[in-house]
Amino acid sequence: MNEKLSRLFSPGSVAVIGASNSFDKLGYHVMKSLVGNYRGRIFPVNPKGGKVWDISSYPSLESIPGDVDLAVIAVPAGMVAGTLHACGRKNVSGVVLITAGFKEIEDPGGASLEGEIRDIAGQYGLPIIGPNTFGFVNLSSSVNASFTSEFSRIEKGGVALVSQSGGICHLCGFLAIEQRVAMSKLMSLGNRCNVDFPELLTYLVDHDDSTKVIALYIEGLDEPRKLLDAARALQGRKPIVALKAGKSEKGDSASRFHTGSLAGSHAIWKGALRQAGILEVATAEELLDTAKAIDSCPLPRGGRVAVLSGQAGPGMIASDALEPCGLTLSRFSEETQRRINDLLPPIAIRTNPVDMGPAWYNPRNIIEILRAVLDDEGTDGVIFLAMYASANLRLADGMVEHMKTADPFGKPVIACFTAPPGIWDGPIGALDRKKGIAILPTPERAARAMANLWRVNALVNGKGVKTWDH
Amino acid sequence: MGSLMLSVDAVTFLEKEGFPVLRSLLAATEDEAAARAAEIGFPVTLKLSSPDVIHKTEADGIRVALRDAAEVRQAFREIVGSFTTGNPGKGLDGVMVQEQGSGAEVIVGMLTDAQFGPVLMCGLGGIFVEAMKDVTFRLVPIERRDAREMLEELKGYGALRNPRKGPIDLAEVEDFLLGVSAFLRDHPEVREMDLNPVFISTRGVRICDARIKTG
Repeated sequence: MNEKLSRLFSPGSVAVIGASNSFDKLGYHVMKSLVGNYRGRIFPVNPKGGKVWDISSYPSLESIPGDVDLAVIAVPAGMVAGTLHACGRKNVSGVVLITAGFKEIEDPGGASLEGEIRDIAGQYGLPIIGPNTFGFVNLSSSVNASFTSEFSRIEKGGVALVSQSGGICHLCGFLAIEQRVAMSKLMSLGNRCNVDFPELLTYLVDHDDSTKVIALYIEGLDEPRKLLDAARALQGRKPIVALKAGKSEKGDSASRFHTGSLAGSHAIWKGALRQAGILEVATAEELLDTAKAIDSCPLPRGGRVAVLSGQAGPGMIASDALEPCGLTLSRFSEETQRRINDLLPPIAIRTNPVDMGPAWYNPRNIIEILRAVLDDEGTDGVIFLAMYASANLRLADGMVEHMKTADPFGKPVIACFTAPPGIWDGPIGALDRKKGIAILPTPERAARAMANLWRVNALVNGKGVKTWDH
Repeated sequence: MGSLMLSVDAVTFLEKEGFPVLRSLLAATEDEAAARAAEIGFPVTLKLSSPDVIHKTEADGIRVALRDAAEVRQAFREIVGSFTTGNPGKGLDGVMVQEQGSGAEVIVGMLTDAQFGPVLMCGLGGIFVEAMKDVTFRLVPIERRDAREMLEELKGYGALRNPRKGPIDLAEVEDFLLGVSAFLRDHPEVREMDLNPVFISTRGVRICDARIKTG
């Protein structure tokens, strides 16, 4: 399975079955995603023949000369069974089945059709992503096998997002572009015909070096223990973060037991996810923030945080956000305080949270304050806040300059660089996800992500974190 | 449908399975109640035992800290009287006479979920169960780390750890949760279970009341 999945996600050639020149066909959009982006061979398959997206098409899969690693299928549901037989005979490694109209529909015919295609796939040992999926994007090897070409704009990195919903991939994928979350893979498993969460977890943890953290979006599973057992078996290898939809806390009101009446499905999911070593998050935003922080930062050994801010206000709300998520403001050692005092004149608060305002025009001093705090044994991570003002325009570029020669930080630094669009874009891009820094939009989100980094450390190393709840 | 094991039967069964319980005997009459109480030793608690009553407190079915035979007799009459008036036609097994428990009350329970299978629950017990819903869940079987985290996640964890009456050995409570998990693994016929309350104190862990559904 893993070998086939490797070829499916990094194919040497792709056939698009149902490839089209017509905008209202999904096969058009799959071609758009591949052409000009994918470096392997593309074989459009269309019985009408001629050129599709300026590439000569083939009337059938059989007529393609040479091997096909991946087949992306976007034909009507009724034609899928025959197409899968053709894929099996052609020795295709794997299939993305975009076509919908299977067990997700009300008509029971959909479910029986899905049973039929599962059997055919089993006959040929053919892994299928889908049916009822937008496809997948493998950013590490520039394969966009989806009907949304813009996903190719996501930066290449270590976050793999595996979702039960295509819509959530679109939400998170576009947010990822905007917020510079760098991904290895983005995919919706659709109806999970024969490639489900457990198979993907095993593949991503054991066989995909480009993936550093796995983000899951789960709606509901018939057999959740399979996913949880797989995660538990892989525990401590790569962090897994999950957003679980369906937050009903209602237990079985008919139960004559306290336990039964108290056991809402979400309460059980919550316990089961932690038991499996999966970090549960509450929102899509938190899923991305957390995954990005894990991808970019070392894990903190504790929950003691230094807040360094260019302006007092953002530092105060960051400090306020620490305690509810289980973090505390760290206390600086005498040595650290002396180093800070040497770098900052006594016209602002120099204890934690540090108001770095007086050093605002001196990026070197700012970096030195950051370094002093990170060297302190009593600090596990730093929240760094910089709001643009016309007079500190050169701060961000100055920091980039100083960071070029700096060693990577051994502790997480979560930063907010907030400026009007266009002003600090360059330096923000240069600082983000480098040398232990992750940039997030707000102080509160920075605090939450820091807390989650600490929780991940606890999950990975088996250390208890008392304040687990949000 | 399977069968339901209640109060004295359930507690006695769990004792045989090796769990620590408060000594409990069933009494059908006032005389029997007084005799059982003397056998157990005062003070004792009397509790309504009926398959139709889940909330004994709400059914006015509990009398605690009874110091002598006269108080036991009085309590027996009150419990039976108020049950008979309030629940015409409902079944009454009798009254449970029980060693007086003390300490913090927790609930440990199990349910069989359609998707997850056997699930273990632990939470703050007694009258707070329904009101606070301060409970945590894990899938059976659990490991020690899970047991510890089930306790740590409770909002009332601080209160469990620092009760005014002296320190509780939480490792013993973890052992108890692990014991329940092992019991459930060995008894797949158990479908649903409430151990409520379970007293935890400096003297250890004691199951006070239980109901078990098998099938």
